[in-house]
Amino acid sequence: MGTTRITAAEQEKALASIKKPDIIKKQKLNVRYHVEDYDISDRPRRFLEAFAAILKHTNYRFALEHFIRVSAKCSRCTVQCPVYLATHDKHDIPCYRSELLLSVYRRHFTVGGALRGRLLDNGELTDEKIEEMAESFWNCTACRRCTLECPVGIDHALITHLGRFILSEIGIAPRALVVSTREQLEGKTGNTSAIPVPALIDTLDFLEEDMKAELGVDITFPKDVAGSEFLFVPAVSDFLMEAETLMGIAAVFKATGGSWTISTDYFDAINYGLFYSDRMLERIIRKLYAESERMKTKAILIGECGHASRSAKYYVPVHCGGTKARPVYNIMEYTHRMLEEGKLKLKPDAITDTVTYHDPCNIARQGWIIDQPRELIRAFCPNFVEMTPNKKENICCGGGGGTVSIDEIRPYRTTIGGRAKADQIRATGAKYLIAPCANCKKQLRELVEDQEIDCEVVGLHDLIYKAIIFDTKEQKS
Amino acid sequence: MQELLDFARGPLFRLTIALMVLGLLRVLILDIWGAITAYRRAGDRQLAWGDALRKTIAWLFPVKRVFTKRPIYSLCSILFHIGLILVPVFFLGHVQLWKSSIGLSWWTLPEFWADLLTVTTVVFGLTLILGRVGSAQARYLSRKQDYLWIPLLILPFITGYICTNMVLSPNWYVILMLIHVVSAEVIFVFLPFTKIAHCVLMPLSQFILALAWKFPARVDDKICTTLNKKGAPV
Repeated sequence: MGTTRITAAEQEKALASIKKPDIIKKQKLNVRYHVEDYDISDRPRRFLEAFAAILKHTNYRFALEHFIRVSAKCSRCTVQCPVYLATHDKHDIPCYRSELLLSVYRRHFTVGGALRGRLLDNGELTDEKIEEMAESFWNCTACRRCTLECPVGIDHALITHLGRFILSEIGIAPRALVVSTREQLEGKTGNTSAIPVPALIDTLDFLEEDMKAELGVDITFPKDVAGSEFLFVPAVSDFLMEAETLMGIAAVFKATGGSWTISTDYFDAINYGLFYSDRMLERIIRKLYAESERMKTKAILIGECGHASRSAKYYVPVHCGGTKARPVYNIMEYTHRMLEEGKLKLKPDAITDTVTYHDPCNIARQGWIIDQPRELIRAFCPNFVEMTPNKKENICCGGGGGTVSIDEIRPYRTTIGGRAKADQIRATGAKYLIAPCANCKKQLRELVEDQEIDCEVVGLHDLIYKAIIFDTKEQKS
Repeated sequence: MQELLDFARGPLFRLTIALMVLGLLRVLILDIWGAITAYRRAGDRQLAWGDALRKTIAWLFPVKRVFTKRPIYSLCSILFHIGLILVPVFFLGHVQLWKSSIGLSWWTLPEFWADLLTVTTVVFGLTLILGRVGSAQARYLSRKQDYLWIPLLILPFITGYICTNMVLSPNWYVILMLIHVVSAEVIFVFLPFTKIAHCVLMPLSQFILALAWKFPARVDDKICTTLNKKGAPV
């Protein structure tokens, strides 16, 4: 599949900044995303101090050492990067982006590099280079497709991840992510969307009434039921924007008799730490895990959300006790198991329109959840079409890596980041585009709107809600 | 001149081989030691070993995935590597040299294949240089060493082919043979310190990148202490 390249006019639109020149000057930072005011003095020194502290306490050094030894600069990654395919801008070559940070590492943290740098008097970290990194690392959607293509096995996404982490330590991180994380960890409401508990309860009551009216079945959202099997935690924005996904999930639990609960103390699985700071990633994971301990649930169940699922699945074991930690599942794993066990029944032709499926990078790239949603879709929809490429090689929605939450860069996301995806969606001609991820859904809705594609973006459980069969009288009552 | 050649083929060969082996062992040990340390510090030690092994084999014998994207470049690169690995080790003349230097000998490549692989390495090496020069993206990424390595790598192949297959005056033979041997020795010396170290490090890549995402547990506090950020707001 060929990705169409953006035109000059589109490029201008996508790269236009809405920031005022005096802010750019004040913050010494010409990037399109908003940043909270921070200490701009002595940035290179502070960047290197943060880099050193991170290297000291984490595992990044051995990977960087390996990467600088093997990097062959072959440019093969260009064939996979959706951003590069849209812009053909050399600054968007994944290997170039990685080199920005690798060169700092080589110059300041290796003996050979430091000697050569001193002798030739070059390569020292400058303010300009920090600005370039601040822009470049946030042009990447962290989809990790480039890693699939690197013959010597360099993980450019890991380098971008580290680069963003270091930048955040000197105060350079998108304000949208920082403010949300602050509310989640230190705010009154304890969640990224700042939803107060009464509003949450109101929403759930309202959805219960809705389901009663639509399906004629009493379906509840169990609240604070200690000792349940699953602590259910969706991306908190679902409570505001994805009512049908939540209703679908509640309906699945009703039909299958599953034991689950939502905690009104902590109900947000979003983890922006994965996108900008390992320290925040850790704090959020520990907060999530503490809640599952408090509620005495056997497992943690994450809703339809890619990054929340990946961060919980991979970092609960890291920070909360390795293999002994409570297991983490994604809701699609539960629903699929219920289908396999025959506890979930779906009308085979509930959806007759063409349906296609978008693999969220964070659950598909590593091969974690790929076949389950497809089997579920085939169980209620005879007209399922695949996008190509798909599964492990899927193309990012264009809003990955936290960029979807940065509203001021929407033109960039829907023109450049999502360009390849838009071409792919158009080619399927599907009526419904299933994207089981809160971030992907938001981005894809903006993408189909801005790119004028006639397609409805939905969650998987939105359609399951329309297809579910309650077959016993007991359930009906 | 002949004495110089004897020196180059004798003591200098043994010295440069020793440097190369030690240099490669050094990077290999550093890489593996780094990985072991990271594994020990990792908060979660479940690794997808099988998946990493599958990917490693797939990249060491890239027959499938590389042809889906940039097939011509891939084919050139693969054909270039085959001769580059096989001829230095298995060509009859080299095996005799190995035997006289380190006392070990092994299977040798039939002459026809040695010649053919030499030609393919030279031809596809040249193609790769053209590819690098001709591609705007590759040019943008390239450092000096990226341009210099392939000419240096194919120089001993060109001179070796001439010495083996052409009738030369004794003087020319010695000169070309000297270039052949010395250029190979330059390669041996620099190889461990440059990107060519991927010849031994590449099999580790997939394991390293699986492990790299396994962070150590609870580093927030430590980083905050080091950076004087304890108690600072998010």
